[in-house]
Amino acid sequence: MKWFNQMSLGNKLRILFMGLILLSVIATAYFSLSQTAKTMNTIITNSSKEINKQIILNYEKYVDDIRAHATYIESQTKLVNYATIDELESIFKQYASSNIDITSISLVSQDGSAIITSLTNYYPNPDIQTLDWFVGATENEGTYYFTPPHMENISLYGTRNVISISKLVEYSMFGEKRKGVLVIDVTDEDIQTIAKQTNLGETGHMIIISDEGDLVFSTISSCYSDECDSLKWVKETIIGDGYVTLNDNDYYANINTVQGTRWRIATFVDINLLQDTRLRMYISVGSFLLGTLLLSTLLISLLTRQVTSPLNKLMEHMKSIDTKHHLHNKINVKGQKEIVVLSEAFNEMIEEIRELVERLVAEQKAKRRSEFLALQTQINPHFLYNTLDSIVWLSEQGKNAEVQKMVVALSRFFRISISRGKNVIPIEKELEHAKNYLTIQQIRYFGKFSYTFDVDERTFDYTIVKLILQPLIENAINHGISYDEEGHITIRCHLEQSHIKLEVENDGYGLSEKQIKHITHIMTEPSEQSFGLRNVYQRLKLYYGEQADIIVSGKMDEYTRFTIIIPKQEVYQ
Amino acid sequence: MKKLFFSLLLVAFLISCKASTTLVPLIIYDYSDLYMQDFMNLILENNTNDILLETYDSKNSQIIQNEIINDTLSENPPLLIVNPVDRLGVYPIIEKAKNLDIPIIFINREPLKKDLDLWDKVYYVGAKAEQSAQLQAQIVMDLFGGDPTNLNQFDSNNDNKIQLVILKGQPGHQDAEIRTDHVISVLEDAGFTLDVLSITEAYFFKDIAKEKMTELIDEFPNKIEIVISNNDAMALGAIEAMVEKELFIDVNGNGKIEHDTEPWIPVIGIDGIPPAVTKIEEGYLYGTVLNDSETMAKAINDLVSILLEDGDINSLPYHVEDDTYIWIDYQTFTSTPTN
Repeated sequence: MKWFNQMSLGNKLRILFMGLILLSVIATAYFSLSQTAKTMNTIITNSSKEINKQIILNYEKYVDDIRAHATYIESQTKLVNYATIDELESIFKQYASSNIDITSISLVSQDGSAIITSLTNYYPNPDIQTLDWFVGATENEGTYYFTPPHMENISLYGTRNVISISKLVEYSMFGEKRKGVLVIDVTDEDIQTIAKQTNLGETGHMIIISDEGDLVFSTISSCYSDECDSLKWVKETIIGDGYVTLNDNDYYANINTVQGTRWRIATFVDINLLQDTRLRMYISVGSFLLGTLLLSTLLISLLTRQVTSPLNKLMEHMKSIDTKHHLHNKINVKGQKEIVVLSEAFNEMIEEIRELVERLVAEQKAKRRSEFLALQTQINPHFLYNTLDSIVWLSEQGKNAEVQKMVVALSRFFRISISRGKNVIPIEKELEHAKNYLTIQQIRYFGKFSYTFDVDERTFDYTIVKLILQPLIENAINHGISYDEEGHITIRCHLEQSHIKLEVENDGYGLSEKQIKHITHIMTEPSEQSFGLRNVYQRLKLYYGEQADIIVSGKMDEYTRFTIIIPKQEVYQ
Repeated sequence: MKKLFFSLLLVAFLISCKASTTLVPLIIYDYSDLYMQDFMNLILENNTNDILLETYDSKNSQIIQNEIINDTLSENPPLLIVNPVDRLGVYPIIEKAKNLDIPIIFINREPLKKDLDLWDKVYYVGAKAEQSAQLQAQIVMDLFGGDPTNLNQFDSNNDNKIQLVILKGQPGHQDAEIRTDHVISVLEDAGFTLDVLSITEAYFFKDIAKEKMTELIDEFPNKIEIVISNNDAMALGAIEAMVEKELFIDVNGNGKIEHDTEPWIPVIGIDGIPPAVTKIEEGYLYGTVLNDSETMAKAINDLVSILLEDGDINSLPYHVEDDTYIWIDYQTFTSTPTN
């Protein structure tokens, strides 16, 4: 499920909705189509069965009518002990002439020798005992035997197509009981007519088959010449119904027996039309469902976009809110109500944050400024008193040149110190300020130290926070100069690749590793105790931040060095 | 979880129980046939096998019966019991059952022998139609005094001929044909002279018989000495017609016909269905040939059980002719005439 959790909201919604819709569409399609198929199947089965039943009933009625004749004739034959052949013959003739379907009624003795017939032009058939109706009646004692349509054959030179109904009967003749075959020929016209009455569809057809599997009748001529597929199917199926495809045509076929005969009738109802209807129904249902699917897909993507597009916009906006700069940007979301409200709330929140940040920055600035000024003003007043004492002493000694030099230096020193309230001054001024200080101190501590400046003039293009060098020089004089030998102070100012490096170095006692650590510690760690070096360090940090640093270095009995690193900040013209 | 498992097991057990109950279709030609109703109930009552007989009504239509048989065969039953509508039309059923190896017991209506010979697993349980006619003729002979040369008082016109009407069942129906032919030939062979007024087809149905009998009474007023019917239902229909035509008169209104004092005409049926037995006791129906349905029902059930067990049919307490036929004897049943 990890992949699912990582998915965007829009895709999740799409997958869920599409899955749901696909499921319901498939379910609907399945049920409606299976229902349709079922209904169509029922229609086909029922209508075919009904058609078959109707045909069977029509033939049964036809057969019943024939048999009714036969039963009547039979009862007449059996019951009466006729005195002469003519008596029975006249009954046959009378009955045959009054029924237009009956072409002849005859009674043939079992040996084939004696014949009573209604036919007026009778030509004896010598093969009478081999004829279908004769054999059928003899073999199926007790029942009526129905022959397929055939040319009249009881008499030679028959002209009509007939169906023969025959039965082995007992009759009395000349006072004795005899057995003979009663045969009634009826025209086969009705068998054709009934078949034509029923609509079996365009290629629909029917066949009648005897119990021996012989074709009795078919509406398609091909079944007569050789065994057609329909006949084969009937022989395989024996009885029953089912779908069958013959010569690329679909049929629903039924086979049933015709009561009172040994016949079976098979009807092949053409269902191509119904199949077409079914196909059309499938197509229409299918296209309807496809349409539904497409439409819902469209609606879902619209809905999803309505939700996810403002959400995405909001998300992108939120991601961008990480620098101070972007706090001024406002998001303008249109779309889903809830997300619009959310965006507006977010805008308000960002606005408040922005105000808070600005206030905080302003407060910080003010605080730093006040701290800075506080630190700057802490220039030792004793220096002024001592200098003034020295001037007094020099004037008492009458050393006017020195007095003049000192006063000028002091005056310049203070001018640069004040610098019209500026915090940052050109490096040149800072160096001059240091030089003035050194001039004053050299006169005061006559012969105690010398100094040199090693300056790269390219640094003059840059600025520095004022009054940085002076405290370090003061420190160098106070701690580095011994009374027994002359000390030396070196001030360097170099332009480096990324920064400017200033150094104040003095010889003398130098520093041990421990002392370096100690001084660095005092300088960098905050404490209540005020200390010139820390003052310088703090001012640099407050002004330049991480870009500035003071590094303490030295070597025992050799030198002490303070290296100041500041960023390059150009003098604005 | 355990509970669920056990309940599933129980369900599976119940399903398997249900499946183990064997269904044997019993397909009747027509429920509206009084005799078959009675016979069907007897078959069901005598079912001591561990099977369920499922009955079907063919509504006297071979088409419906074919459909029922096709449907039941497709469910692969162990065997079928069929009372055919059309005895000539069973050969396709036998062929189909042979292909599926499902034995068939035919009852009540006898198929052609050549059809039964199509396969060795088809059987017929029934009575010989000839025997019923034989016994029916015997009743007639006894009624008329047994001496063909000197008929008793039932020869109402004293012509020494029996004026009779035959109510015939469905033409072509084996029972109808044989019973009709045989009763005549037995009487004639015994030397009786018959005057067959009519052989009327009433298709085994009571209502048709009543209608036709009414016509016959009009056609042959005071001539009919006896009515011989192919079955009880038609006999009862004929009696109803004759009661309406006042050939039967219950003078004292006791619901019975006293043969000595009240007018009546002898009517003889075949089958021995319960309403016919009642009518015999009431003196309306003179006699019937009892189709021993009880024994037949038992024989059918015994045959079913042997076939289900795949046992030897010759171990049955009945003679099995040609390994196919079980014949059950008819019995006569008459009200004793008091003369």
